[in-house]
Amino acid sequence: MPCERKPMRYGHSEGHTEVCFDDSGKFIVTCGNDGDVRIWEGLDDDDPKFITVGEKAYSLALKNNKLVTASSNNTVQIHTFPDGDPDGILTRFTTNATHVTFNSSGSRVAAGSSDFMVKVVEVSDSSQQKTLRGHEAPVLSVTFDPKDDFLASASCDGNVVVWNIKEQSQLISWPLLQKTNDVSNAKSLCRLAWQPGTAKFLAVPVESKVQLYERESWDHVSTLSDDLLTQLVNVVAWSPCGQFLAAGSVGGSLNVWDVSSKLCVERQKHEKGFTVCGLAWHPSGSQIAYTDTEGCLGLLDGLRTSTSNSTNTASKQAAVTKPAKDYDALFDDDDDDRVMDEGQSDTNSPVKKPIAGDDDDDDDDFLMPATGRVRSRAILDDENSLDTGSLKLGQEKFGDDGDTGSGVVPAAPLVPLRPAYEGPMPTPPQKAFQPGSTPAHLTHRFMMWNSVGIVRDYNDEQDNAIDVEFHDTAVHHAMHLTNTLGHTMADLSQEAVLLACPGTDELASKLQCLHFSSWDTNKEWMVDLPQGEDVRALCLGQGWAAVATSALMIRVFSIGGVQREIFSLPGNVVCMVAHGEQLLIVYHRAPGFDGEQALGVQLLQFGPRKSQLIHGEPLPLSHRSYLSWLGFTAEGTPCYVDSEGVVRMLNRSVGNTWTPVCNTRETCKSKSDSYWVVGIHENPQQLRCIPCKGSRYPPTLPRPAVAILPFKLPLCQTSTEKGQMEEQYCRSLLFSNHFSFLSSSGYEIDEEAQSQSQKDQQELLMKMFALSCKLEREFRCVELAELMTQKVVTLAIRYASRSRRMALAQRLSEIALEKSNQIQEAEPEEEEEDYSSVRRPSGSGQSEAAQGRHSSRRYQEEEQEEEQREEEEGREMETDEASETKKRVNPFAKEAVSPVKTNLTPITKGGRANPFKVLGSGKPSSASGQPRVTNILDNMTTSRKSFPLSGPAGKQNKNTVLKPLAPRPKTKTQSTLLQMSGTKASNKKTQQNTQLAADRQKQPEAPTPASPADNTENKRPKTGFQFWLEENRKSITADNPDLEETDVIKEAMGRFRTLSAEDRLSWTERAKTGDPADLKKRKRAEGGAEGAETEKGQAEADENSAKKKKSLDPSSKLSAFAFNKN
Amino acid sequence: MDASEVEFLAEKETVKIIPNFSLDKIYLIGGDLGPFNPGLPVDVPVWLALNLKQRQKCRIVPPAWMDVDKLEEMRDLERKEDTFTPVPSPYYMELTKLLLNFASDNIPKADEIRTLVKDIWDTRIAKLRLSADSFISQLEAHAKLDNLTLMEINTIRVFLLDSLNCLYKLRSNQHPGSSKGQFADF
Repeated sequence: MPCERKPMRYGHSEGHTEVCFDDSGKFIVTCGNDGDVRIWEGLDDDDPKFITVGEKAYSLALKNNKLVTASSNNTVQIHTFPDGDPDGILTRFTTNATHVTFNSSGSRVAAGSSDFMVKVVEVSDSSQQKTLRGHEAPVLSVTFDPKDDFLASASCDGNVVVWNIKEQSQLISWPLLQKTNDVSNAKSLCRLAWQPGTAKFLAVPVESKVQLYERESWDHVSTLSDDLLTQLVNVVAWSPCGQFLAAGSVGGSLNVWDVSSKLCVERQKHEKGFTVCGLAWHPSGSQIAYTDTEGCLGLLDGLRTSTSNSTNTASKQAAVTKPAKDYDALFDDDDDDRVMDEGQSDTNSPVKKPIAGDDDDDDDDFLMPATGRVRSRAILDDENSLDTGSLKLGQEKFGDDGDTGSGVVPAAPLVPLRPAYEGPMPTPPQKAFQPGSTPAHLTHRFMMWNSVGIVRDYNDEQDNAIDVEFHDTAVHHAMHLTNTLGHTMADLSQEAVLLACPGTDELASKLQCLHFSSWDTNKEWMVDLPQGEDVRALCLGQGWAAVATSALMIRVFSIGGVQREIFSLPGNVVCMVAHGEQLLIVYHRAPGFDGEQALGVQLLQFGPRKSQLIHGEPLPLSHRSYLSWLGFTAEGTPCYVDSEGVVRMLNRSVGNTWTPVCNTRETCKSKSDSYWVVGIHENPQQLRCIPCKGSRYPPTLPRPAVAILPFKLPLCQTSTEKGQMEEQYCRSLLFSNHFSFLSSSGYEIDEEAQSQSQKDQQELLMKMFALSCKLEREFRCVELAELMTQKVVTLAIRYASRSRRMALAQRLSEIALEKSNQIQEAEPEEEEEDYSSVRRPSGSGQSEAAQGRHSSRRYQEEEQEEEQREEEEGREMETDEASETKKRVNPFAKEAVSPVKTNLTPITKGGRANPFKVLGSGKPSSASGQPRVTNILDNMTTSRKSFPLSGPAGKQNKNTVLKPLAPRPKTKTQSTLLQMSGTKASNKKTQQNTQLAADRQKQPEAPTPASPADNTENKRPKTGFQFWLEENRKSITADNPDLEETDVIKEAMGRFRTLSAEDRLSWTERAKTGDPADLKKRKRAEGGAEGAETEKGQAEADENSAKKKKSLDPSSKLSAFAFNKN
Repeated sequence: MDASEVEFLAEKETVKIIPNFSLDKIYLIGGDLGPFNPGLPVDVPVWLALNLKQRQKCRIVPPAWMDVDKLEEMRDLERKEDTFTPVPSPYYMELTKLLLNFASDNIPKADEIRTLVKDIWDTRIAKLRLSADSFISQLEAHAKLDNLTLMEINTIRVFLLDSLNCLYKLRSNQHPGSSKGQFADF
């Protein structure tokens, strides 16, 4: 009998619990020490209805929609089921009742009490009581004879007594149990059970066995035991068919015996080994619900007793209908059936598997919306019974009986539909909800919990009120409103409270706005929706409110009550949120299938520039889940949470895709726990949520406390160092997207935070780089370097060269070069702007340039400019190609690559002259998508540090678009990364000056102020080819006077390669020993050329930079330190 | 040492509050506090929590141990054991007193908690007296008591030391020779 043990779930507080099914088997009903009776629509019900019956509930019984409970106020009460209305007190004792039970017809209730008495009461007339006296200790349990003649009870005095109810006399008494003085001290609860139907046997748990006593003769006929069952049996329960007996022990084992064969057919163990104190069979016999003394509820599903084995059901029914059948005959019958069963079990087993699959699905179903759950469950149950049912029909003569048997399953009437359609079943669409609210059927609930405050609704009998409370009391004082209109939806912002109620037959659906921030005296307005149109969802933006209605419309009001917009939605709204000027709407796109929801999402932007940013694209949800929260981060990035606990955030940098940023389930301790999200912050990264133990929603009391969860992108291998850093990096990138969004939509941004995040990202990149270096993954290093800003690339180069990876270092310098190219590409445009002719001190150049850059983006550029840029691009490409081809030709020789570098190094000065170039490093614009911001930010950090040094240079920054712009003096980059800036600068040189290459050659000795530091630093990169080139350049240019600079290099490369190996070697040697004289000369030559052709300002700047360079040394040390630290 | 001094020390313990105002980090000699975000729990020392509470600037989240079930369990254990059981906080008594006096509206079942803590306190003090009694009556030279809180030590210190001094004087008068060595430790 394979059955599935579902995971336990938290139901009540610790202490004695009991469980039963309702007559239809649709609900599991439990009671516990907390005095509540909970009505579960299945084990996965996360929001069970509950009825409070007293301080503690000791026992419960349910029949004919009457719920009888024994509570701590010494009474036995009736409540209606499932409404939970009190229906009077059945009887009272002098102390609490310990066990209550119905007779088979539900007309009487028996209750045993700690005051030694057992009472039998007519349900219809509680004055008709029979008291059974005779126990000498608290009564442990009572059970009715299904034929209503007798009653059995067990007591702490050790006796199990059978009473004649009519005569109120003891028939027989067995001293079977250990004596104790109180129920709480009893080793076993000794729940007796009388076989239903034939009423043949009374099952009495005695120690670790279950003894069966025969009715009338009261003989002990058999004992059910199991070798593996060593602990005391606490409770027993007969299957509805009467053939199986389930027992739960103190040690948590659950056994099911086939009574006829006395074989143990099922053994399960409580997952934590807690004492099982309640046990109940599903009316169909396919499930057993059990509870333990820790207040948890569990379920064994898929018992074969009757769902998949109709023979038994059928025979049971036969037995019931023919009560005259004698003992032997019954067992004979059953034996026959069992044989059949065994024959059939093989054929059954394949069927079993798909069913198990269904059960799994069922399991997942608890993630489906509450509204959808019941129906889909029924469908699935149905499938179970149908699968087996149809199989039965073919095989068994009892087919008809079997069907009637399964009629107990509530959804049986759907059976005939099955052959008609076997495809995937549509999922019931999830209902509209307000994110941050708890379900409307609760009497005390949250109507809204968001970052502004809390709106609570108290819907008692005596009054219906709404409490509005603000997290920050500075916004507004708390409000208390009477809810005469019956509002069910609310939203709260810094400006107003928006409430809405659904329409009734007489009254239209109303929208009420408490505009508390209004400066006039009217702080409230109300709008009636057209007849027949109901509010489904609402939200408050900044200065406006939006309402989604049942007529598939979105109505937008201003906060003062002016109707502003109206538009239609393609489907039923699920929920809607607003932030600032953005409106995010999620709606049903189409029916979903197999538990999936098909949701669409629209993101609209109001305000001055109205636009639709997301045009109804599908909203990705986890498998078989539904939307459970929707909102914006505090910074305005849309995000949502699905019922699987996965938090997803809009990734604006990758075309409005959704990135999962957290799975709240991973932090849950048990499966039934969850986190109820109330807000998300990107800076600092915080997921604010309320931990809910054993439920999906928090109760209003005690007041829940907000917890903060960290984000974690589900990257691969996050247990490794590499994975961790990658995760951090991706997360940091994702969570800094909002900066660019905010700045582009005209909001202020927290520059400090932004630069911090940028710094963190670069730091992480550097760490990852170092790690890959260690792992000898040079290609990966290069990939990482491509993500870095220029100044970090220079650090990387240093790292690579220190760890003796020259090849890598050279590749990196290529990248650095490219990066500077990119920066410079943008630069000429700027220079062409008005400022181009103006002399400027080096410090200010950058800010102007930045401004120029902004404007150049926004406005048309002059043709001339464009042309020039094109030219430059063309040339640049050429150079790139040249260097690349060289590299390819001789990938291993340093010399092959270095010439490009060497060629460029001498021009270092020029590069420094314009600090903007160096600083405006940024990432490759293609990668970041927001180069402008990045650059500015970059500038900011560095400039702040070095500000005191920059002196007068700082004056002109104010004219930039973004006020954070600070003067752009020299940066670390320059000082630490001489080589780097050299290449960069040289690169620029090539662009600007290639056409003047010839001129350059002619002006060898133009004086330029060169800092000695430069010279020494520039030595390093020199290679053999460089030296050779110096020597031979003239001859090359002489040979080919019309060659451009790049071509000269190409040509030189070719010639150099044709040299003999020894020659080349000697050049290399020379390069190593260094040739200062040569170097200096060359430097001057180049620098002079530059000075001549570039604006005079640059020459000046050179001086500046030279001076600054020295002053900046400390910061270079700093950066080196930071680097080491990494 | 005065009880108020012990209480003063207890005020250094941190407690979670939910502020209803927003404030950046504040930098104090004892460390940084905050930042305070409305609605978001933050750890602050008790003295600040009470100050804010009195100005109605926050709600105090009672410490995890300040819970009826946990305290009941502790009380039972305390009663069962002969020795002192570990207490949830070295300042449990002071904190209970302070928080319940100033923030009883934020603490569910405040009265029960008050009673339970008082019970635990009484049990422990009784044990302390008992051990002091047996210490003296058995003429022990030293004894070891674990898990005592500062407040508890403080309550018995004055009395115990004074009475030991007294006893010493009396005994040294009675048996000038013999008892000297025994009480030398004091």
